[in-house]
Order: sequence, then structure tokens, then C-alpha cells
Amino acid sequence: MIAVLVTGVATPIGEQLVRSLMADTRVRHVLAVSHLPRAQALTLSPSPRLTYLQVDLTQTRRVRQLVFGPARDLGVEVVVHLAQHRSARSAGRKVHKLNVEALRSILDLTDRHPTIRRVVVRSHAEVYKVDPHLPVLVTENHPLNLSPRAAQFVRDRVEADLTACARMGLSRAEIVVLRCAEALAPGTGSQLFDLLQAPIALRPAGFDPMVNVATIADLVSAMERATHGSGEGVFNVPGYDTLPMSEAIRKWGTPQLPAPGPIIEPLYALRHRLLGSEFSYGMNRRRMHYGLVLDGSRANNELRYAPSHPIDWRVGGSIEASHTTTTVI
Amino acid sequence: MLGNADTADRRARFKYADAGHGYDRFGLHPDYVALADLVTGPFYERYFRVRTYGSEHLPSSGPAIVAANHSGTLPFDASMLWADIYRNTSPPRAARAIADYFVTGLPMVGTTFSRTGMVGGSRGNARALLQEGELLMLFPEGTVGIGKRFSDRYQLQEWRQGHCELAIRHGAPVIPVGIVGPEEQMPQLARLPGFGPMPYVPIPATLFPMPVRYHIYYGEPIALQNQFTPEQADDPDVVSEAALQVKTAVHELLQQGLAARDGVFK
Repeated sequence: MIAVLVTGVATPIGEQLVRSLMADTRVRHVLAVSHLPRAQALTLSPSPRLTYLQVDLTQTRRVRQLVFGPARDLGVEVVVHLAQHRSARSAGRKVHKLNVEALRSILDLTDRHPTIRRVVVRSHAEVYKVDPHLPVLVTENHPLNLSPRAAQFVRDRVEADLTACARMGLSRAEIVVLRCAEALAPGTGSQLFDLLQAPIALRPAGFDPMVNVATIADLVSAMERATHGSGEGVFNVPGYDTLPMSEAIRKWGTPQLPAPGPIIEPLYALRHRLLGSEFSYGMNRRRMHYGLVLDGSRANNELRYAPSHPIDWRVGGSIEASHTTTTVI
Repeated sequence: MLGNADTADRRARFKYADAGHGYDRFGLHPDYVALADLVTGPFYERYFRVRTYGSEHLPSSGPAIVAANHSGTLPFDASMLWADIYRNTSPPRAARAIADYFVTGLPMVGTTFSRTGMVGGSRGNARALLQEGELLMLFPEGTVGIGKRFSDRYQLQEWRQGHCELAIRHGAPVIPVGIVGPEEQMPQLARLPGFGPMPYVPIPATLFPMPVRYHIYYGEPIALQNQFTPEQADDPDVVSEAALQVKTAVHELLQQGLAARDGVFK
């Protein structure tokens, strides 16, 4: 029986993870954290096994108070860190503090913590470099996108990932980094999901890369397995669905139009300005040309994770654009 | 379904690792494989009138690497070899062509070829395919081979060694292949500097390949896995020795084919 601290529970993935942990008889207590008041963050009914705290993780002092306060008092053994900005358009110091520095603080504090023995960090497939010279099927030692020209959304994710990786073997706690496939669901920060909400999905003519997308249920399953597992390392967490981008757009029910790259970027920029949409063609240019499919062999061998929840493509077109609004965690 | 009964039969017997939506993880789709079978058919049967020798050496299952000479300015040799393997294996196997990076970066071409099984020439792609028991098709001479001068025909150019490292590490036999014919199909007069993803722009003597006859010779599989341990894949001397074996075998097949043919077009 363990107690688990989950950050970023105001996200659909965070909330679903809390629900799963609450249903798990191996979990004694869940300490759920987000920056929002409980009523806005969680729809779960109160339970003596669930503690909710509103904490601003960009404040180092608040993180310390959380880790050496309630987390110590509840005897938290595992931290699942999900808190990151989901908006690709968010930028600046405050964003970086949440995306990277909050994790750095948690890892620092964990080293001196009396009960925490394991930290599970959600990373992203977006940290990988996409290039025609590189394999389509991506293992954990695939090059990362270290381009200084990458958007802060990507740079922060790469830095957070490497921050966690750099502590492996040196920290008292076991560190697990889960590089998760994009969750094709509202509120998850998925760029592809936002693209699918467009009236017409424009994609580069002459290219149709393979993509791999996941459901929230599969990602939560991987996180649960990492929570209860032993050992540390980096694991790709692929989704069930692997298909060409054009096929994903078609199955979702969105009209699509292949067009020359130079005219796509300004059109998506215009869409962002007029509608406040999230998708950035500049950030996804390479992904829309060359394939990237996560190889989940390591997660399968060591965490016994295999994606088993396919995306329900029939519901794609029925999800309203209003659900895509992306907020800070 | 277009095509004749043979095309439909091969389509029906073709097996692949469906990743869930009809495509494999690299983008292969059986309908595109069947389409490629259909499109290459007239070239294979009537234009280049391919004759094949030793196709019994092609394994019907399991990982293997087909290594051939490369030539002809345009990669018709790769298309004909792909078609020949597809037609002469049972069940039909779509050889996974390992292409130079620039090919995967070409609009339309990269996507279309990937639907028939082509992948970019990265070690990671090749490793994953061998682990899945696929048949790789590669040309160790690379773009240097396809762009060789007419005076260099049937002279193997610099022979890359990566295929032998992969074969030793993953226990895959190498099937040497000598293709006689394409080295004369489209003599190259000159080449211009490349642009974009193109390494160069060839200036051939003819606008379209001449109807030379193709003779495809498959040699006995070279069981590198029986000669070397997987750990020796890291030994450059071992890999060089293995690559020399393959190159020598291809050279001998070419000499055999050249001695046996009556003329370029016959």
C-alpha cells in the first residue's frame, strides 16, 4: 500500500490518473495537486483516501512546503509529475518555471526526503528530433530536438526530460521518464488534436508521414505501471493507433487539403489570430513531413505496458471546438 | 481490382505486419504493394524482359538481406529487383528497399515508395525491420553506383559495409545479387550539381532507359551468422572481411551473367 503525489491533476490525464489510483487497492492515499481550486480541478467526490491541494508549483517555496509538509506527513512514496503548460503558444519565464524548474525542485527535494522513493515524470514524443535521416521507428536513444530555434514548448519539454535523465542513478529515488505519444483528446495540449478541429486540415502536399497517437486510458495505464514498478529509466509510451496523417484526418472526419508548405504556415497563423487556435505549423513542420512512431519495446519488456485502447475515431467530429481551449495547469 | 489473375493471387497471398489501420509501422500498405506489382508488370515482362536465375536462394520467411549492384541513372534496377523478389517468393515478399536519405525527403516519391515498403537508410530502420523478420533490399554502392560513368559499367564502386554489420548482429543471411542489363540502359553524359534533396542532376544520353534485357542472378546465401558472432559486428576488420565476401560474390555473379548473355538487348 503506497501513497502517491500527483501534480497537474486539473488536466484530463491527471484527473483520470487520480481516478485510477483511487480505484487501485494497492494505493493507500492520493495527494492531488494543481494550481486551481478543487471545484475547477477535480470532479471526484471527496474521499478519506484523497487529499487535494491548490499549489503554485512555480514557487519553489510552495513546492518545498508541499513535499516536506503534506507529502511527508502522508508518507508519500511515489510522485507522478504531470504539471506542464499545455499551450504551445505560452512562453516566458513563468512558463519555464512550471515546465522545468518545478520538476528540478521536486527532484532536488526528493534527494533529502524521508519517504519518497520513486519519481515518475511524464515526458513527450515531441522531444524527439524528426528528420528524414533518422529512423521512423523511434527508440529511447533517438536524438532529441535540441534546436535552439525550436519553440519554447519543445525546448522546455526537452530540458525537463534531460533534467530528469541527468538525475538517474545519482538520486536516492528511482526516476522514470515516460515519453508519451500524443494523446488525441481535448485539453491534453495535443497539436494534432487542434489541427483536426480546423474546418479544413491543410497538410504539406506530397508528404504523408506515419503518426502514432494514444488515448488517455493508455497513457494512464502506463503511468500506473510506472508507479508500481521498480527500477528506473526512460520509456517510450506509444499509443494503439499507428497510421498515416492523412488517414487520421480522414477518420476524424475533417476535410483535408494538401497544399504547398509556404502557404500553409500563414494560413494557420491567421487561424490562430482569428480563432485563438493552438496549432503551430512552424513547430510541427517536420512532423508533417516525416514519420515518427514510438517503439514501445522497452516499456513492454520492463513495465509490461502495451497499448490496448484504440481511439474511437467516430467521436472525432462530434467533439466541439470549445473543448480544445487550453489552459495553464 | 486491376491486373491479371497472377497479380490478384499475389495480393491475396501477401502477408505483412498490420499495425492496426491497414498499414505497417513504416507505412507499407498491401494495396500499394499490389499497385506496384501492377505498374512494374509491363516493364518487368515486356520492356526489360527480366530473366531470373537462382531465385530459390530467396528465403520464404525470416530476416535476410539482398545486396545487389546498382546502376542505370534512374533506379529501374531497384524496381525490377523488387518485382522479381515479389514474384519469386512464396508467399510473396515485398522487399524493404533501403533508400538513400534524399529519396525519403522527395515529395510524392518518398511517400509513395514507403507505401510499397521502402524506408530511409538509417541503421534504426534496418535494425527494426530485421527484428521483425523482413527481407531488406539494398545497394551497397549507393548513389555513387547509380551515377557511375558508362565506362565504369559492371565495375563495382566503393562498397559500403553497413549491411554486413547488420547481418552479423542480427543473424541474417546475405543474398548476393548481380543484375546484368541496367548498367547500359541509360548512359550518363554528365551531371550537374544537385539542389534541394537531390545529390546531383544526371544528364543521360537518352531521355528514357533503353529496352535492355535484365538478367537477375541470385547467389547462394552467405551465412555470416555462422561465420561470426553477433559481438563481432563491432569489429571493423570482421565487417570489412564480410563485406569483401559479399562484394566478391556479386562481382562473380556479374561476370557469370556477362559471359552468358548474347547481347545487351537479347
